[in-house]
Amino acid sequence: MRTTLPLLVITVAGGAPALQAQVDYNARVGVTWASTLVQDIVINQVEVRQKLAPTLVLGAALPIAPRYRAGLELALATSGYQRTETAGETVDLGTVRTGTITLGLDGPVSGGLRWRGGLGLLRYWPAEEQGVFLQGGTTRFLAGAGIDYRRPILAQWDMMASLRYDFHRFTTAELEDRGFSQSQGVHRVGVTVGLARGRR
Amino acid sequence: MRAFRFFPLLGLVGATPLLSCADIGAPSRTIAYEWRRIVATAAGPDTLAFHWPESRLPVRIWAEDVLNLPVHVQQGLAKWEAAFLYGELQAELVSDSSVADIIVSSGIAPKGGFSITRLESSMAPECQGATDIELDAAGQQIIPPIRVYVDPRFAPSTPGLDMCMALTTTHELGHSLGIFAHSPNAEDIMFADPAVTDLSERDRATAELAYHTVPTLTVAPR
Repeated sequence: MRTTLPLLVITVAGGAPALQAQVDYNARVGVTWASTLVQDIVINQVEVRQKLAPTLVLGAALPIAPRYRAGLELALATSGYQRTETAGETVDLGTVRTGTITLGLDGPVSGGLRWRGGLGLLRYWPAEEQGVFLQGGTTRFLAGAGIDYRRPILAQWDMMASLRYDFHRFTTAELEDRGFSQSQGVHRVGVTVGLARGRR
Repeated sequence: MRAFRFFPLLGLVGATPLLSCADIGAPSRTIAYEWRRIVATAAGPDTLAFHWPESRLPVRIWAEDVLNLPVHVQQGLAKWEAAFLYGELQAELVSDSSVADIIVSSGIAPKGGFSITRLESSMAPECQGATDIELDAAGQQIIPPIRVYVDPRFAPSTPGLDMCMALTTTHELGHSLGIFAHSPNAEDIMFADPAVTDLSERDRATAELAYHTVPTLTVAPR
């Protein structure tokens, strides 16, 4: 894994023509849904969660075996986040951007379908340092899996649709300072479509 | 291919920090002190609770431009806003006092209204403060603006005066934002005779409870 990441970066940058010819690139756009970030009880139950987030995904993959590839995927998403109380009140709290980098494997399922699994890091960047992000954003480990579907549309170009699920545990320095224990398991599901270019 | 065999192991190691079944645990806020004002009525004691409603945010505050008051108000507001995790309070300084929800000025509070008066300080004798809240005839609605007074007892150059003005302003802002009672703990900014400059964990917990409790008082349009 240590060698795969630098290799991909160098290849994508155009450093090794022979490898570059084998690299598969894709760019997709879509939306990401996320489960609750924070649960609290202040008289009533309070939940903080992100809204549906427009998402841009860039990916590159390199063959490591006849049927398998190792790939790097970068996803950027931005959305509002809000608090909801059991009393029914929903209040917008601002905007938060997330950046995800995952290193993964993919392999064939059947036809144009391929599975993907990976590990990575997720960074939260709040637009304003306030509330749960009073001390700034946070970086979390992440594990994910998904499925890709590709269909040729031109000589070297495929239409690509992806479904992704990932999981991380959320907390922030401010929440820890305020006495929150543990962290919140956050599930995210993303759907994207785009174009892919490379080996089939 | 040999390296490929290690991927499941690496995956397991990488995923270990994620493998915890428990959800985030909320802190206990039982340390909060009583923030509501209990008043005697003909029918018995009445509990007055208030917080600025979402529809009135940001709360508009005007500060008289003397004795560094605008700076003290700005810093005091920042402390109170930071007490909240979920955007319950936002406030801003305004230049036009005629639109302000809260007016902060120097001087001694005149008599009238229901006044939450800071007790005279023995630890910081350089200044004193008071907050006046006017209620309607039925005693159920606040008539804005809420008036905060911070009074220097000595000349502006007196040592310790600026710090006294700062902590007193923060304390009185706490009253104007809905903490109508004093803390029994000397380490809290809302202690009747405050000596600290920052909000304590108890102050923060109390403010949070105040803003998630159904208020008994409403606020009239400005």
